[in-house]
Amino acid sequence: MKCPRCVQRIHRGASQCPHCGYSLAEADARFGGGDVHLRKLTDSAGVMRRVERQRVESAMERFERRFPQLFFAVHTGGKFHETAHLRQFGFWLLNRGAFEDVPVDRPNEAGILLVLDAEAKAAGLTFGYALDAYLDDEDTFECLSRAHAYWLEGRYADGVLRLMEQLERTLTRRSRQARRDPERFERIVGPPPQMGDLVRKIRAGHRKPEHEEQEVAK
Amino acid sequence: MIRRWLAVWICLACLARGSGGEPPLPVWNGADAAEIKAHKIIPGAELLNDDPIAQAPPSEPREPLAVAPPTPEELRESQIPPNVIPEKFLAEYFERRPDTYLIDPQHLLNRQQYQDRLEFLKYHAGDSSMDLFVYLFDGKQEIPGEVRAEELVERSFSNGRPAVVVYYFVGAPQRSMVYLSPSLTDAVSAPEQRRALESSVMEALNKSDPAEQLERFSVQMSIRIYWMERMLNGGAIPTEPVELSLDHETQKKPEDRMHGALLVAQRWAMPVGAGMGGLLVVWLVIVCWRVRAKYRFPVLDVAPRLGASHAAGVGAVISYGSPMVPPSLQRDQVPDYLRRV
Repeated sequence: MKCPRCVQRIHRGASQCPHCGYSLAEADARFGGGDVHLRKLTDSAGVMRRVERQRVESAMERFERRFPQLFFAVHTGGKFHETAHLRQFGFWLLNRGAFEDVPVDRPNEAGILLVLDAEAKAAGLTFGYALDAYLDDEDTFECLSRAHAYWLEGRYADGVLRLMEQLERTLTRRSRQARRDPERFERIVGPPPQMGDLVRKIRAGHRKPEHEEQEVAK
Repeated sequence: MIRRWLAVWICLACLARGSGGEPPLPVWNGADAAEIKAHKIIPGAELLNDDPIAQAPPSEPREPLAVAPPTPEELRESQIPPNVIPEKFLAEYFERRPDTYLIDPQHLLNRQQYQDRLEFLKYHAGDSSMDLFVYLFDGKQEIPGEVRAEELVERSFSNGRPAVVVYYFVGAPQRSMVYLSPSLTDAVSAPEQRRALESSVMEALNKSDPAEQLERFSVQMSIRIYWMERMLNGGAIPTEPVELSLDHETQKKPEDRMHGALLVAQRWAMPVGAGMGGLLVVWLVIVCWRVRAKYRFPVLDVAPRLGASHAAGVGAVISYGSPMVPPSLQRDQVPDYLRRV
């Protein structure tokens, strides 16, 4: 879990970044406070042809069939000037975006948003809380790397499709792992251990086991 | 100077001593020298001729050995050309069913070779339901025209165990002929008989010694008989690749090879087809299952961060501005304040 602005690690439940004080309020101040109505595939930069958009939309539908809780969205734009702004924009858009063609049973917590800056030639992935335990920085980088070669050639749609293939592969693997060992993922997003818990744990280590205490009592 | 005189004296002394041990040289008189000059005497002429030595004792006259003159039979046999089987052996060859598996009335094999081959044929007879009878002829001999082998085999081998009869020509295995007893004629096809003979002949031709050729031939024929038995019991005969062609008679025809391929195909088509079909079905089921599979995630309670109600999961950001730099180096991990610095 990293801050969208300073890219430093932040702890669970932090209301603002402990390093730079960043929060959604600052993003609202930069990009706007109200909800933004848009579709899953918003090609504001106009980098995809109609046929390519259809291919990407088909892939999105297939993704939603395969993962009934999730959705995948793409936003292409420009004029972010800095990649740090791109990261903050993704964070802001997934919180403020109202995706018109996404069923209501799939909230933004279950969304994965790809933001493409066609001018600055940068791309970033943002995902909702529902995927906090199942995706990390390395996974998203792996997905973006698959699309890198296509985007270098200006084949944005092909890059998006490759990215989605890799993303599906990763999510499929994580879903199986979560089914086998759910506690592993609960620990990732669970509340941080309190100081009292730590002390109790240390004391429990010094205490004799219960059956020994019972024998002593007898 | 003294040393030189001393060395000359020693040499002369040695010569004088050596000449003392030799026999005296012949001395020519004047008459002999005149005759030699006149070429009336040739030196050594007394030794280099066929005349008896004057001093040798006179030899006694030798008497001729008492050898019996050739009989009329021997005279007749010597007149028989080498490609004809002598008449006295014909009865043993063609008159009745033989008492032994190896018929060699002409003793073309020596005793040891004959015993070895006979032992093998006996072993084969004990191990197989088909007997193998081998008639041995000389490599140049011809079967008499009056002998019709098929009829002979039919007459001699119609009773008793089924038999494979081979006319084997010692030293010329490629001339061999094979016949089956009447009980086998219909069951074993002519191409299969020919294949058995060809493979046995080829095995024999791998050796140069006639006895070893016969050994190889009989072993290979025994193997082929084993496969004939399996075929009669419902199995299939393996087809062997023909490595060398013998002559026009023994060359495999294309239809024979096709027949062999069909036999193999008939045997393996069902299991191979079933296996392939099974694999295809399994593969299709897996593909369909994967396409239709749905993956769900356990819903976990996540505390909101950074005041965001839906998402704070910021993933990676990469640049794709330069084709010369790999994605890992274009990964953006720098906070914006450092970038500004």
